[in-house]
Amino acid sequence: MFQNRAEAFALVLPAAIFAGAIFLVPVLILLSEGFRSADSWTIQAYIDFFSQSLNQAVFLRTLKLAAMVTAASAVIGYAAAFAIVNLPPKGKGRVTGLIVLPLMISPVARTYAWIVILGRTGIVNQALVAVGLSDEPIRFLFTETAVFIGLLQLFLPLMIISLISALENMPRDAVPAARVLGANWLQVFTKVILPLTKEGLVIGGTLVFTGSMTAYITPAILGGSKVLMLETLLYQRVTMANDFVSASVIALILIVMAFAANLLLKRLATARNKR
Amino acid sequence: MSNKLYAPIILLLVLTFLIGPFIIIIAASLSAGETLSFPPQGLSLRWVIKVFEVESFRASFGVSMFLAIGGTIFALILGIPASYALSRYKVPGAETIRTIVSSPIIVPGIIVGLALLRYFVVPFNFGILFALFLAHTALILPYAVRVVSASLTNLRSDIEEAAVLLGCSRVGAFFRVVMPNIRGGILAAFILGFVTSFNQVPVSLFLSGPGVRTLPIDMLSYMEITYDPSVAALSALLAFMSLGIVFLAERFLGFSRYV
Repeated sequence: MFQNRAEAFALVLPAAIFAGAIFLVPVLILLSEGFRSADSWTIQAYIDFFSQSLNQAVFLRTLKLAAMVTAASAVIGYAAAFAIVNLPPKGKGRVTGLIVLPLMISPVARTYAWIVILGRTGIVNQALVAVGLSDEPIRFLFTETAVFIGLLQLFLPLMIISLISALENMPRDAVPAARVLGANWLQVFTKVILPLTKEGLVIGGTLVFTGSMTAYITPAILGGSKVLMLETLLYQRVTMANDFVSASVIALILIVMAFAANLLLKRLATARNKR
Repeated sequence: MSNKLYAPIILLLVLTFLIGPFIIIIAASLSAGETLSFPPQGLSLRWVIKVFEVESFRASFGVSMFLAIGGTIFALILGIPASYALSRYKVPGAETIRTIVSSPIIVPGIIVGLALLRYFVVPFNFGILFALFLAHTALILPYAVRVVSASLTNLRSDIEEAAVLLGCSRVGAFFRVVMPNIRGGILAAFILGFVTSFNQVPVSLFLSGPGVRTLPIDMLSYMEITYDPSVAALSALLAFMSLGIVFLAERFLGFSRYV
């Protein structure tokens, strides 16, 4: 450890000032717009925002979709992570690599693929019509289902990775021990696996939940103006109506959510280090 | 439960869900037909070639490349000294500084873009490209600091103290002893920053003007006009580019150790 304060500041200040000026100050000014009126501070903008039924619907839909994606990714994530952890080491590395792979690819490309799959002439509709389950193509695009599927594909890898490391940290003989003592698989999961991997689930869940809450690309491509979420609503309010007050309100909602999730993550991380 | 069957079935389903769409997009981009479809109507490279002929794609690819490379370099120039100070010095308020520097990762990008547009570009007449550059640098900075800090933590600090005791200047010790040892971490930070910036959409959403927009934004607006397979072809090409970079990085420096 060096003790020279002046040197330390000279090294650290450029980055801090840059992030503060380019990032923190403009964002804070933007947030303050939501509380400003002609001559004083007010929360009127928030009351107005939530009194409109469209905004309420978008807010609730965003929460609902984020919660559904988180729940689905937890269920699939446990199944997948459990299968992966039990693979031989070489296979484990390869499969984990394949799971992580999509994270490196442009989300626009990842979401665009679903247009090919779910569109009017996409494979799902072709199959449905061919098998005779439906007489004409079903509308999948621009529905909540499409957004749900897109978000799930985007964020599932984050959940699987978190659960893999949680399962690997679990004592090896916990599951066999419970089985020998007569627990069925449901009991093994709720009484042994779940409590021992809770932290991994919370970390993965927070990443998936905030990711889905603040997603723009997926609802923009697969939801359009029919299935607005908070970020697409923000974009629409600004580009169509120059409505910066609503934008500020949405921004604060998103930031509060993101920071709350981050705080939770941090707390869990330190709790784990202490043990 | 029969474990033998369970694992392969689950993994096959999950991997099909995660990776299948890419195979479909690659196939769709090789179609000879006019519209996006799978299975492709005949095979041809016409849409792949079309990607290189679309003027706006070429321009926006240039913008994205500039931002990804330039932004990452600038973020490293700011981030390396900061990480060094945070790991080697007792910095008063270190936690606050860390939070400020890493906050662009937490706050949704769309808000950062909007704030920059409203309070920098409009009142001060900043160029869009300049604002994009600043925004992308701010976005990459947290990754740069995190990855470089991790390498510095793994490097024992007594070797540079030894260099100083042996008569090397502090700056000399940094460039001769510390830098060569964290080269891998810096390269990893560069790749992570590049991929993050190149794929970034929300930050750039509001920061686009006549002739200046990033490639993903350009793709989004192209998709609104036409459903021809050229966006599929471009998506496939970009996917291969990202994978190629990550593959090379993993091969030559064990990228995953750093991230």
